Amino acid sequence: MKHLKAINNKARLLDKAVAEDRIEEVVAMSALAGCTATVDPGWEVDAFGGVASLCQPMESDLYGCADPCWWPAQVPDVMNTYPDWNKDAANTREDWRNLGSVFPGDKL
Amino acid sequence: MKIKTITAALGSLAALGAALAPAPALASAEALIRAKCLPCHTEGDEGISRISQQRKSPEGWLMSVARMQIVHGLKVTDDERRTVVKYLADTQGLAPSETDGVRYALERRLNAVEQFESEQFTQMCARCHSGARVMLQRRPAEEWEHLVHFHLGQYPTTEYQALGRDRDWFGIALKEMVPELARTLPLQTEAWTQWQARAPQVVKGEWSMSGHMSGRGGFSGVMKVSAAKGKDLYALSFDGRWDDGSEMSGKGQALLYTGYEWRGDLVVDGTPMRQVFALEDGVLRGRMFLRDQDEIGADVVASLQQPGNSRVLAVHPAHLKAGMAAELRIVGSGLQGEVSLPPGVRLLETIRRSDAEVVLRVEAADDARGVHQVAVGEARGGTLAVYDSIAAVKVMPAFAVARIGGNGTPTAKVEARFDAEAWAAGPDGKIGTEDDFRIGFVPANWSVEPFDEVAVRDEDVKFAGLMDAASGVFVPGDAGPNPARRMSASNVGNLKVVAEVAQGAERLRGEGQVIVAPPRWNNPPIP
Repeated sequence: MKHLKAINNKARLLDKAVAEDRIEEVVAMSALAGCTATVDPGWEVDAFGGVASLCQPMESDLYGCADPCWWPAQVPDVMNTYPDWNKDAANTREDWRNLGSVFPGDKL
Repeated sequence: MKIKTITAALGSLAALGAALAPAPALASAEALIRAKCLPCHTEGDEGISRISQQRKSPEGWLMSVARMQIVHGLKVTDDERRTVVKYLADTQGLAPSETDGVRYALERRLNAVEQFESEQFTQMCARCHSGARVMLQRRPAEEWEHLVHFHLGQYPTTEYQALGRDRDWFGIALKEMVPELARTLPLQTEAWTQWQARAPQVVKGEWSMSGHMSGRGGFSGVMKVSAAKGKDLYALSFDGRWDDGSEMSGKGQALLYTGYEWRGDLVVDGTPMRQVFALEDGVLRGRMFLRDQDEIGADVVASLQQPGNSRVLAVHPAHLKAGMAAELRIVGSGLQGEVSLPPGVRLLETIRRSDAEVVLRVEAADDARGVHQVAVGEARGGTLAVYDSIAAVKVMPAFAVARIGGNGTPTAKVEARFDAEAWAAGPDGKIGTEDDFRIGFVPANWSVEPFDEVAVRDEDVKFAGLMDAASGVFVPGDAGPNPARRMSASNVGNLKVVAEVAQGAERLRGEGQVIVAPPRWNNPPIP
């Protein structure tokens, strides 16, 4: 990381969190079963354990992350596993209501 | 274990499927596996490729078969899938001890905070999905290796997310994780060998049950279990009441997987509910939750009325204030003999008693203190906390995740439900020391506050949802972009959860945290 320089606010905040050794707090929050600990960007929480640095609204840029499997355990990836998941929601800004759950309703 | 060698005595599975959901007679599990799996999987001396070299929970097998449907075009009916999952869970399941410590995932306790000794395991596996999903599987090294390759092929992002791009993820996965998993989660174990050789457990009969549902309170009752038409299938009916006196009842059926994994489906007062219990030595323990909203659920324990199974499951309520009189309900099985109450607690009246329930009116002396056992004859297991004052309040769970939903979308909101847990200071009069004791759940006045300055700026309290002041039930906001918010953010938020417990003129405060997150659209039975 020593060769990388933060050039925007979010990156500066990240640097600050690392410098203040707050990363452990973040890991604790995102270790909830069912949440992803991937926070670059995160799905449930951002790198600070909050929600303010998530992509928001997530509908505006959902596929940029979800398609290539950024959070495949939470959000269906269209690239490999669920190619038709968003067939009725080509424009998420307009069609976000058409996104639904993928696991079969009948469980055990 | 070779699948082809363990297919005896499966003729009744057709009846099982039929009983679960009325359907035409089904093929046997073995025939189904041959017909549906062998077109892709190959059969050899070691059994069927991939399938024979794994053991998992029923939910784990369900997820595997469902993935074959979703990704590889497998065509099976729901009944056929149930038949195959039942067979695989029975013949290639997990011993009860192999699920210790990770049952929260099966029980859908999605606010469980996972902690594993292996930091590498946490970063390599549990950063995307629960670690429990892995811990509930057993494979030899070759199979763990296949799983690594599958992950990289299916989810190539694994290598360039944080905690992937900053290391040789693939190299570590193959050279370090595979040996670690094969060592800690091996296919062949003594526990599984012994479990397969055990005698079947008794299931039929009357089960005395005790539970607690966050946001609603405690309950107890009797669940009657009888054989239904089908292998390991049972009919059940439940009659009980909430601690506030209102009645509850339900009917349904349950299927026992692997000789101990109880999965019940019942309708309780009009609401479909599921039971995920483990059966062990006359005790069922686990969680009962709403089928369609699984964050709403109860911790449950039940014991079978049978000779030699005398147990106190719980005392309702489980705490009593010094100097006060109250009605107590002792719930358990084989409750015969003398009632033994904690020191300083005097019996005023026995209101009624049976083998399943003893209802008493008692009074605690002014100087009675502490958590003590309540016994009935040979039956042990329950405790009663006697206290003079509450010294601290904890919000349980301390962290929770709610999820926005609804608003015309097919995905329901996920609530967060909290309890206020009262603690006493103990003999030294100081809270935060070793002699503190847990009093139990108490009523509180609930509210939410911004968790930090960012939450103040983004008005999370206004947008992210509503806390019910009386019940501690937090209902998150609607799904979708919200034009009223900064950058049209959706109704996510980061909130402090505040429980205020009144004690005379004093107000004791406990704090927790709720993250209001986006929906989870990929939501299989094991998170």
